[in-house]
Amino acid sequence: MTARALRRLIVMGLIVLWEVLPRSGAIPELFLPSLSSTLLSGWNEAAEYRQALAVTLSEVAISFAFACGGGILFGAVVGSLPRPRILIMPMISSLYAVPLVILYPVFTVWFGIGPESKIAFAAIYGFLPTMLSTAAGIQTIDPQLLLAARSMGATLSQRLVRVIIPAAIPTVLSGLRVGGALVIVGVVVSEMLISSAGIGYLISRYRTILDTPHVFAGVLLVLAMAVAFNAAIKWIERRCAIWRTGTQGGQRAAREITASPLQPAT
Amino acid sequence: MALGIKLARVAIIITIFALWEALSRSGIVNPRLLPAASDTLAMLGQLLQRASVRNDLAVTASEVLTAFALAVPFGALVGFLIAENRYFAEVVKPLLFFAFSIPKSIFLPMFILVFGVGFAQKVGFGFFSTIFIVIMSTTTAVEQVKVEYLTVARSYGATSAQTALRVYLPSMLPVLLEALRISMIFNLTGVILAEMYASRDGIGHQIASWGENFQMKQLLAGVVMIATIAIAFNEGIRWVETRCSHWRT
Repeated sequence: MTARALRRLIVMGLIVLWEVLPRSGAIPELFLPSLSSTLLSGWNEAAEYRQALAVTLSEVAISFAFACGGGILFGAVVGSLPRPRILIMPMISSLYAVPLVILYPVFTVWFGIGPESKIAFAAIYGFLPTMLSTAAGIQTIDPQLLLAARSMGATLSQRLVRVIIPAAIPTVLSGLRVGGALVIVGVVVSEMLISSAGIGYLISRYRTILDTPHVFAGVLLVLAMAVAFNAAIKWIERRCAIWRTGTQGGQRAAREITASPLQPAT
Repeated sequence: MALGIKLARVAIIITIFALWEALSRSGIVNPRLLPAASDTLAMLGQLLQRASVRNDLAVTASEVLTAFALAVPFGALVGFLIAENRYFAEVVKPLLFFAFSIPKSIFLPMFILVFGVGFAQKVGFGFFSTIFIVIMSTTTAVEQVKVEYLTVARSYGATSAQTALRVYLPSMLPVLLEALRISMIFNLTGVILAEMYASRDGIGHQIASWGENFQMKQLLAGVVMIATIAIAFNEGIRWVETRCSHWRT
């Protein structure tokens, strides 16, 4: 059997188990409701979930814009200047060790429990990885490309548009993927902790009244969001593949970032 | 040069604290929303004297360490088994990647439903948020071992204990140390999030309740405290990593 076929079989087996185990009573329905009852309860409350999804998505979009705009800008500056890079990069990667969740109470005090505090928290949550990978992407541009461009008399703006940006795109995109995933996590987590709207809030509210099927419907919705986002970025990556100049360093950095610790911490 | 960089870093940190102090003292920012840095640090000193805070720290530490002690050996074993069998690795790896890339925090309510609110729920969630990164990094670590080294060791008649100690361990050690560091970050975040979400004790619970009661001085002191602990641990492991780097093959 090929690996792919076996994998499909495993996934299908898991889905079937999800339906069969709770139905047969091997796992109490309180812990894990069967797939069909989860989908059914999600469908019955579709209007409520749709409203919550709209709130969450708008928060995600705004904080994504902040996180990526700031991350790419700051990362490009830090990555292209050697002195600040040596000075700041190690400090920022030690900052990465801090569990950022503890900042959320501070933001609720400052901005209230509305969307503002979620946006601020998620933007900061997604900022660090985007910045780190952009800086790494700029840093790993093959110096020979730059040298060649310069010796043929390219102006600064030409170098930027024709050399630096195309060469940095793969790393920046993988940074965006991680940053975006973290933004989604940040928004949902902050909604789960303290809020009055959004999917995270629905999950938490249904949890307190022990309505598991509705909790899992919310969880499925968040999962779908994360998967859809991943697929979208992958699609963009494929479209941009023509731009790739195929520098060894850039590709290696892109690989390292996707496989590395810069992944959604919880 | 190295000394200069260190001094510059210290200067940056001092500037941040000075700016914080100045903003609050001058009244540009409402001091009730941002108490001065000096007041916050004084409060941190007071908090560390309190028995209740010390107890919270001890609770959190025990949860973090238990989850870590469970997740690392288990994850390392699973990762090793996956990496050793090529067919199995090909089957499981994309699934693992997927499990790794989905947000774990949304499963937090499930842990409360299963374990209730308590020690087991935090340890369970800490374990859950750590295990995937441990598995993934162990697989990477095993792949670092060069086949040539194994062939040489075997053809010279090394026993399996000798191959494990002399070939696998030295090649894997740098990656494993890095993995330990990263998984500790994940673990700490997971446990603190679980405490903030629903808990009766632990430092995360304390921080959440300070936030709800608008006790900004305590809240910021708590943030500084956890940040310092996390950074200190991270830098400690990094120091060991650089000490071990001559083992790198």
